[in-house]
Amino acid sequence: MAAVEFPVAGGHAADGHGDPDANYLQATHGFRSWALTVDHKRIGLMYLTMVSIAFLVGGIFALLVRLELFTRGKTIVDGETYNRFFTLHGAVMVFLFIIPSVPAALGNFFLPIMIGARDVAFPRINLLSFYIYLCGVCILLSSIIMGAVDTGWTFYTPYSLQTSNSVISMTLGVFVLGFSSILTGLNFLVTVHTMRAPGITWTRMPLFVWGMYATSLIQVLATPVLAITLLLLAGERFFGIGIFDPKLGGDPVLFQHFFWFYSHPAVYIMIVPGMAINSELIATFSRRAIFGYFAVAMSSIGLAILGFLVWGHHLFVAGMSEFATMMFSALTFLVAIPSGVKVFNWTATMYKGSIVWASPMLYAMAFIFLFSIGGLTGLFLGTLSVDVHLTDTYFVVAHFHYVMMGGTVIAFLGGLLYWWPKMTGRMHDEKKAKIGFWFVFVGFNTVFIPQFIMGSRGMPRRYYDYLPQFEPFHKASTIGSWILATGLFITAFTLLEALWKGRKAPRNPWGSAGYEWMTDTPPCLANFHSTPVITRGPYDYHLATPEELSTGWDEVEAGAHTKKKD
Amino acid sequence: MTEPNAPATFQLPEQMSTVAGDVDWLYYFIYWLSVVLFVGIIGAMLYFAWKYRERPGHKAEPTGHNLPLEIGWTVAPIFVLVFLFHKGFQGYMDMTVPPANAMEIKVNAKQWGWEFVYPNGGSDNELHVPVHKAVKLVISSTDVLHSFFVPALRVKRDVVPGMYTSQWFEATHVGQDDIVCAEYCGGRSKDSSGNELPFAQMTGHWSMHSMLHVETPEDFTKYLVGIGDPCASYTVKGQTCPASVLVAQGRKIYEKKACIGCHTTDGSRLVGPSWKGIWSKTESTDHGSVTVDEAYVRESILTPQAKIVTGFPPTMPSFSGQISDQEIDEVIAYIKSLKD
Repeated sequence: MAAVEFPVAGGHAADGHGDPDANYLQATHGFRSWALTVDHKRIGLMYLTMVSIAFLVGGIFALLVRLELFTRGKTIVDGETYNRFFTLHGAVMVFLFIIPSVPAALGNFFLPIMIGARDVAFPRINLLSFYIYLCGVCILLSSIIMGAVDTGWTFYTPYSLQTSNSVISMTLGVFVLGFSSILTGLNFLVTVHTMRAPGITWTRMPLFVWGMYATSLIQVLATPVLAITLLLLAGERFFGIGIFDPKLGGDPVLFQHFFWFYSHPAVYIMIVPGMAINSELIATFSRRAIFGYFAVAMSSIGLAILGFLVWGHHLFVAGMSEFATMMFSALTFLVAIPSGVKVFNWTATMYKGSIVWASPMLYAMAFIFLFSIGGLTGLFLGTLSVDVHLTDTYFVVAHFHYVMMGGTVIAFLGGLLYWWPKMTGRMHDEKKAKIGFWFVFVGFNTVFIPQFIMGSRGMPRRYYDYLPQFEPFHKASTIGSWILATGLFITAFTLLEALWKGRKAPRNPWGSAGYEWMTDTPPCLANFHSTPVITRGPYDYHLATPEELSTGWDEVEAGAHTKKKD
Repeated sequence: MTEPNAPATFQLPEQMSTVAGDVDWLYYFIYWLSVVLFVGIIGAMLYFAWKYRERPGHKAEPTGHNLPLEIGWTVAPIFVLVFLFHKGFQGYMDMTVPPANAMEIKVNAKQWGWEFVYPNGGSDNELHVPVHKAVKLVISSTDVLHSFFVPALRVKRDVVPGMYTSQWFEATHVGQDDIVCAEYCGGRSKDSSGNELPFAQMTGHWSMHSMLHVETPEDFTKYLVGIGDPCASYTVKGQTCPASVLVAQGRKIYEKKACIGCHTTDGSRLVGPSWKGIWSKTESTDHGSVTVDEAYVRESILTPQAKIVTGFPPTMPSFSGQISDQEIDEVIAYIKSLKD
């Protein structure tokens, strides 16, 4: 039996936003049709453009930082400029790229499609959140550049109060960005609750949607803390109330509590979507339902909740009480359980599957590889006595890059390659994508494995210059950054090249059972020509019909032949 | 347990404190645990990826359920995690609670240097400690956050302005190691008019480096006597300290208290005015012109923002509470000596 039935013949009434049955890219035309669009797919693409630019900018600063560290002493810039570079790298990557990357770009595009909805619950608010994001980008970048901010992306007081007046405007920028993610989160929550197509029960919801749901919960609950921080900073600055500044009787450690009370949950805003993509990739390319679906879904919710309780592990040597230190260490270890469950379930899913070595699957396996390293090195940092030695060294830098980049960015790239044909209607060149992958994978490890070693040997973070014994490790790391950058450029080229040279993609090029592959490629403006009725889970390969699983490449080939004959 | 005083391994530096052995044991325990888990997971993943690769005639089996397996890998890690938590917390308490008889050394951190004040009142910008003796550091900052980190001791403690933090250790053998700052505290690589300084004069988080010297008790006692204030011995006897001793002592303070970071003695310009020839000069300030005399120097050390010399930023921290009257006299003597 077919999973999709079409109970209502015909389609949607035209409503001035273009023909709902037309390809969303061609339904309407012109600048206004993009700038004022309320179509979640176009908004997703606009976010994708913005976060890609942010990734490029943040990446350039990363390369400059690595280049400066290639030799001891001055290599390209002076110390103050170096401090600004790593601040810009961190702030741009965290706030402008990685937090919005998966939810706002891929989530916006696929969440409604994957639950058989026509759009998100509040399409206009969705557009509003995009423009708020743009405002946030402007505020954050202008305050960092004009204020010559060199505080690191954590803006710790009192240094941030001492060197520039930008800490308030930066927090404002981060808050405005956060407000954008609150709106997106709220939109997703309501959409998931109210707009699932008939037959998509909570236990048939794709794991990507579960991940977006968990992420949205964190966004809605954690971001308001930024507003409180902002209010306190303003109170201190304008009314002289001592809160964070010791000169006024304030407590700088309090700022760290506030900062991490938002920024630690934000870590889960970054990684849970990466895990969500990975569940989709593993299932599709193993041709098999995710092992322990329920456990994987609940582990996302578990991470969202635990994420609120562990912020203090950033403060183990900061002057927190022994009791608080003990509690935060214990809570931090709990995070290992849902993370472990995910990794175990992904691996078990591959058992007795039919593994397709496609480029997105390479990224999915790389995710398991790199995230396992990121997660296991977290054990060192949760263990108090070992953390004392390792914290604030390159070990921490390597650890969070393995989680953030080895996890989220790798999943983001895998997800982009996976969904690119659906989004654009064009298939990329798999060979180039795989070459790009190997550069990224080898480059990434070359950058960060030496950082683990120099960190455990005692190299502190955020150093413009270093002791001679660390030079070989810095050299290797910098060389790795060039390999990684090459891989990323090859991947970007592969994706962009597909737009004008790529083969026309069929409906389901990877042969997935997922719901998003049941609709046109690229989807029509209304996502589906009529409301789909779902009768099986998104990973039920044994229940899906051969037509549903057919890649459609045969027809594409046949079509190409017919055209040639014409 | 690893041997105490073990030399550096590929991953960890040399051990020089009583807690280092336990820390390293736990580090390597987690390391090998991680290696086993990682090889197991990735090995299985690669094996499955190869064995069940897509090929003609091969079909995926529908996913089944295995509740005992799922409960197993959710519950089993808890035992390991509880063990790690317990060992980690135990080790943390060992390095946090000092023995009652520990010798106290005061540590002042500032942008960008360390000052260590010993029980006899003498101070230095490097840390000397006797071997096999518990030492408790009482750490404070005059400006921003810093972090006291000695890799070989396996200890690290943030330095927080407005509060005291403390850290104790007992060195296990005679030797040396680096003291570094592990919490970002900014940097300066341009002079007050915005020109880039030569690399050697750039200072910042990265240059906040000092040395730990672990010495025999005899050497340490000699060291303590040496850093005591030579003028004190004159004062005790009711004599006046000779000018040459005062000047020499003032120069030491100039280096130890990091005045050297902002004020040169050769007339060149850094963040603050050079001390060369500044004595008895008339300077214009934001509160009218002043003559650089004893009163103005004293005021500038204790309340630096009172009168700012025109053309310089108001960035100097107050040394109130960190410098004695005797030391101010010595600094004044040194500035006087730079008159010509």
